[in-house]
Amino acid sequence: MKLAYYPGCVAQESGKELDMATRWVCRSLGIELVEFPNFSCCGSGFTDEANETLNVALNVRNLALAEKAGLDLLTVCSTCQGMLSLANLRYQDPAVKSRVDGALTPLGISYRGTTKVKHLLRVLTEDIGTEKIRARVARPLGGLKIGAFYGCHLLRPADELEWESAEEPHAFEDLLKAVGATPVYYRGRVMCCGFPIQFVKPDTASRVAGRQIEDAKSHGADAMATPCPLCHISLDAYQNQAEEAVGHSLDMPVFHLPQVVGLALGATPEELGLGRHLVSTAPALGKIAAPARS
Amino acid sequence: MTETLVKATFDVYRYDPARDPAPRYDRYELELPRHTPLLSALLKIRAEVDPSLTLRYSCRSAICGSCAMQVNSKSRLACETQIGPELDRDGRIVVEPMRNQKVLRDLVVEQEPFWRNYDRIRPHLILDPTKPMPEGKETPMTPAQVDRFMETPRCIACAACYSACPAVEADPAFPGPMALAKLYRFVVDPRDQAHQDRLVRIQTDGLWLCMRCHLCTEACPKDVRPSERIRDLKEMAIAVQGATETGSRHAVGFKENIRERGLLSEMKLVRQTSGLTGLLAQAPQGLRMVRKKPEILKRPHPIEGLDEVEKIYDALDHPEAPP
Repeated sequence: MKLAYYPGCVAQESGKELDMATRWVCRSLGIELVEFPNFSCCGSGFTDEANETLNVALNVRNLALAEKAGLDLLTVCSTCQGMLSLANLRYQDPAVKSRVDGALTPLGISYRGTTKVKHLLRVLTEDIGTEKIRARVARPLGGLKIGAFYGCHLLRPADELEWESAEEPHAFEDLLKAVGATPVYYRGRVMCCGFPIQFVKPDTASRVAGRQIEDAKSHGADAMATPCPLCHISLDAYQNQAEEAVGHSLDMPVFHLPQVVGLALGATPEELGLGRHLVSTAPALGKIAAPARS
Repeated sequence: MTETLVKATFDVYRYDPARDPAPRYDRYELELPRHTPLLSALLKIRAEVDPSLTLRYSCRSAICGSCAMQVNSKSRLACETQIGPELDRDGRIVVEPMRNQKVLRDLVVEQEPFWRNYDRIRPHLILDPTKPMPEGKETPMTPAQVDRFMETPRCIACAACYSACPAVEADPAFPGPMALAKLYRFVVDPRDQAHQDRLVRIQTDGLWLCMRCHLCTEACPKDVRPSERIRDLKEMAIAVQGATETGSRHAVGFKENIRERGLLSEMKLVRQTSGLTGLLAQAPQGLRMVRKKPEILKRPHPIEGLDEVEKIYDALDHPEAPP
């Protein structure tokens, strides 16, 4: 299959390892990624707070670029997924459409509303399918207990995003089972990572992140995994601050979603950029057997 | 016609702080019709099994907002939650008091902080004393004016949103989703004369602590959609006052940041939000990250078609006038 690849800002910058892992996994599963050097940022929820119409217009431009190429759009970030999906929805409101078209039509941009926005998690579990992935596993992640952490904008508002249950999602856990890992169910898996207020009130953000990591840990998780690079920043890069907030060490390795799949399909830690994490993934890797392939 | 009964297992949170060293869960097993509302089941337990079970309820019709509780970890009104689907999914029903509020006894929580936060937003019309309401007449509104209230008048103050909110959990400075949804309701009320003052005040009274996780919108039994109205308040506050707070500076800074290259310059955003002193405060954390992720220091290449992005900004980046 062929998809318009929307890496989002973080996977092109501090979260480069997410981009590396996504490309490795897609290559391995025969998903062709088409590059669009003209995609702009989804606004990450912040532009939406400052100017909703502007944010819809910028994202409709992205959606129109994919539509023109006849491709559905692949995201690797819960927030990009949410913002682009909501732009699709809000553009159906005639008042919004008229204002957005007022800015886009003079630029020769038109959008019929046909671009589907799909997160990698959905492509892997629905389009490729967990059975096919299970059959391709070279290094089952047996023994590794992983707490999935979904990220708010992949799930909510559920009535608008029309995919998983916001309260009891299972796609990520299905995928973890397919690669041989044991999913850990904990309340925090559908909670917030605190990222949106990381710069507004760092102490509060760290308490929120620390709470979810503690929750995963207390339910026996050896590692967490997230489909959102913003959650990854909160849970991994700022885990030291979360530790200060909760008053003890957490030592929780946090994987990006395609890193978990890549490990199972036989990629090396280097190919997946695991050395770029702030919290070492070595303790978790130590629990996985060596790959079966040569 | 006899109804098919199902075997229902309830694990109910029990705690009397005056007598119990710690909370416990008591198990009750009953045979009930599938469509039994959880509230009816709990009242049956109280009437027939354990008269000490304490809960708060009144109307039994999803109107009074008294019986919100956690049902299998989800915020629900007990009166409108049927036991059948819960049993199908989880095999049992775990009943717990709402979160983010102190337990007084069993399923009854202390509501005082919730209502204090509501008072904070001045939940009443503030009229212009020089323009009294016409005596004996109602104030007519146009359909467009009524539409601006959105779903907020449906709120029954059950506090399900307050219970689900991670900002309430982590920071007492956040007034909670219900209070902010109610604030929105007064800000857009054409009879209210304090909307500007309300928006200016809330900028420094917790508005920017909302993490837009939408857990409140998911928890709300009346589809009030507090998170979406909080977003509206943020945009209106910026329109009235500009980016005066860290939160609004971050939102506006982010928007400006994207205009330059089409993609985010991470380092620049920190400076935009926190200023030079903030940047220095972030320096130790920044250095930790740069060692592993040197790209943070680099600015992204401008995207192709940046001129289109600039023109979209030119056309639309004029915040709407306040109501």
